[in-house]
Amino acid sequence: MRGHRDLQRTSIGAVVCAIVAVLVPWEIVRVIAAVPLTLVLPGYAIAAICFEPRELAPPKLWTLSAGISLMVLALAALLLNVFPFGLTTLSWAVLLVLVIVACCRAAALRRGRPGQHRRAARRAWRPPPLAAGLVAVAAVISIAALVLAQRPLPASNAVGFTALWMLPANSQEKAVVVGVLSSEQDPRDYTLEVTRGRKKGQATTYRLSLAPGEEKTFEIPVPRRPGGRAHVVASLYLASQPRHLYRRVTTWLPRQKTFPLPPAAP
Amino acid sequence: MRITKTLESLPVIVLLAAVGLLLCSIANARSRATISPSQALYWVGLLVIVTPVFFRLSSKAPSYRERLGLVLILGLALYGVKVVHDSIFFTFPDEFVHAFNAERIAEHHHLYYFNSALPVTPRYPGLEGATSALMMLTGMSSYGAGIILVGVARLTFIAALFFLFARVSGSARGAGLGVALYAGSSNFLFWGAQFSYESLALPLLVVVLMAFVEGEAAPPERRRAWLVPVVLGILATTITHHVTSYAVSIIFIVLAILYRVLKVKRPNPWPLALLATGAALGWLLIAARTTVGYLWPVLREAIEGVFETAAGESAPRTLFHASANSAEAVGITPTPARAVAILSVLLLALVAFPGLLQLWRRRRRDPFVLLLGAAAVVFFGALLLRFAPAAWETGNRAGEFLFIGLAFAGIYGAAYFLRAGPNLERRRLLLTAGLVVIFAGGAISGWPWDVQLARPLQVKAHGHEIDSEPLALAEFASRRISGSRFAAPEADARLLLTPGHQVAFGGQGPDIEDIVNNKKIAPWQLPVLRKNHLPYVVADRRRNSGDTLRGYYFPSPGQYGQELRPKVVVHKFARIPVGRVWDSGRIVLYDLKDRPRR
Repeated sequence: MRGHRDLQRTSIGAVVCAIVAVLVPWEIVRVIAAVPLTLVLPGYAIAAICFEPRELAPPKLWTLSAGISLMVLALAALLLNVFPFGLTTLSWAVLLVLVIVACCRAAALRRGRPGQHRRAARRAWRPPPLAAGLVAVAAVISIAALVLAQRPLPASNAVGFTALWMLPANSQEKAVVVGVLSSEQDPRDYTLEVTRGRKKGQATTYRLSLAPGEEKTFEIPVPRRPGGRAHVVASLYLASQPRHLYRRVTTWLPRQKTFPLPPAAP
Repeated sequence: MRITKTLESLPVIVLLAAVGLLLCSIANARSRATISPSQALYWVGLLVIVTPVFFRLSSKAPSYRERLGLVLILGLALYGVKVVHDSIFFTFPDEFVHAFNAERIAEHHHLYYFNSALPVTPRYPGLEGATSALMMLTGMSSYGAGIILVGVARLTFIAALFFLFARVSGSARGAGLGVALYAGSSNFLFWGAQFSYESLALPLLVVVLMAFVEGEAAPPERRRAWLVPVVLGILATTITHHVTSYAVSIIFIVLAILYRVLKVKRPNPWPLALLATGAALGWLLIAARTTVGYLWPVLREAIEGVFETAAGESAPRTLFHASANSAEAVGITPTPARAVAILSVLLLALVAFPGLLQLWRRRRRDPFVLLLGAAAVVFFGALLLRFAPAAWETGNRAGEFLFIGLAFAGIYGAAYFLRAGPNLERRRLLLTAGLVVIFAGGAISGWPWDVQLARPLQVKAHGHEIDSEPLALAEFASRRISGSRFAAPEADARLLLTPGHQVAFGGQGPDIEDIVNNKKIAPWQLPVLRKNHLPYVVADRRRNSGDTLRGYYFPSPGQYGQELRPKVVVHKFARIPVGRVWDSGRIVLYDLKDRPRR
């Protein structure tokens, strides 16, 4: 590839991008490396085999590079799927580097000696300052538009809710975890009552206040009953309406883990 | 004059496009914040994006590269409109399905994992395979990777369409106008920009067509070079999207026949027709047999629907209304918007038919031109399908492909319009206005009026983020219930797929819809749940929980579509009795395997 600067740069770029994408922990850096590695360079390398160095105008070459890269990604997934290791970070990185470097090598062999395609001197294009400024402002505005779209906003008319949930604490099912999640617009006070079995004495009561978005969980041990299952019921009341059942969840521990039979036909 | 020239400069147009995008983002933000309707602001934003581009494209002045830049700005800014519609989650119905597939690939490192919402989609893994590469190499979510991938595909699509039109029409001005016309396709703004397999397959198809026509125009010794992208594109399309792969096949078969009939001296593309057909059939038989069961009922219903409507056996569909099986009351498209949409079709006819006449007079010996012209004619035939209730979706989806031909014919119509008569500036203004109406009409008819703007999915209260009810359930399932199987109304099921990371069944295959919506448990229902291994059942009182466009969001008082089902619909499972895992008022999650005794 010596002398073919575009192919050299493409190959080295692919290797560097792959190393960065595989080894660097920061997502934004990996994105900057992975986008050319996946969406530009494979197509460029394949286009380099097919076409002479300046046969295509740059816009067409870049369009073709992106298009072929998308094709390569779709087809390469099928290829990687054949192997036992499948589609992993490493297998993608290695395959893409192999495709790019191999195609660049093939393109270099096809082009022959670099002297045959000496690059004509090109003037470096510089946009007028005003135009560059306007485009920069446009970029800032576009980023602002995207950032605004990503931000959750206050929505006073959105109707909130409170969720009560209960699950076994672990696979041994000797305790339950009860959670109360507030997606209300304002802080609220609640009373949570958890009963185990039929006796009132086995009830535990908690008083809690939750801010919007806040969740509180309680792990409650459920002693095994010798002859059957313990019926656990968690009931949630609003502090402002203590007699009005607000939410209820139930479970029987240990769980039966079989489907119920259909109801008898009338 | 100088001001006009300044306003028409590319940097100013870029700036205006950005301002338009910001206006759309503000309109969406106001909508998410449940502030008074901001539809007007949104449409002003869209017009600020498209009008300067259309006006500049109608001029003779811009260079080839400037025109390409203009259409890329148009494509990028309109894709931005789709992106700012979303929050940090996918919210379009098909996006959940494909994001789930991509996440499964990233998690399990292999393709073809089962998808409960649309079982055919894992059999076409092109999009998700490609997305998984970006996900794994960047560490991004399926949302981030999908946004980037579809964005690149969309820019490639716009550029390839421009090159295709430029090559076939021989005019860069015509190519720019052709792309501007294509932006008026009803699926361009939203449907074609979503994270879905067709959003990758269609750009690949256009790259294939572009490479084919470039190869045809190249000297004989250079034609083989262009075969590489054509062949790669055919193969990639085959594994990405069923309908697009059949479209590729049909296109090359028709071209092969036309080459033969017209005795074209260039090599007949029958090997490409054979490759495309063989690949599509081979993939169908080897890897994607379920496609037949997926597509055939849709096609059969469409054909029967057309005959029934034509024979007067079923009433024609009312335009701008939701499909008949929509359970909830949805927003109605206002009359002025309907008028714009209908006017846009008339304008399309006005610009396409003179173009078709021109093509027939001047270019009817060119097989590719004939193919595009035929697509334009068929487009108007497909419009009639919109009047048949069972066929409107087929007509709408076919439009995406046929519009390429229509936009091409429109180039000649627009050129004819710009040639005739004395006052060029006035005609440019009129053409721009026409293009704006066509674009707006496409946007109106392509996506329901009431969901053009985003709705609140996550909102801020007292400085904290809170999720909508179905999203909170999905997040809970993701955190607390690992990899289980759910039966749920359609919208809940989509969120349970992603971000819930669960296998979730909704809809009618199996008939989950009746199980979750009926007031009583019928004898067949529990066996269906048992047979499909669905221990978790979501009961949802919200009527729009079956609506995959509107069922994800916070309700707000006074908004239509907020009706609730009777309480018994939710509480019927408690009578079995079985465990209640989650209760958030309108939504209750039951665990059928959690019960007192056998």
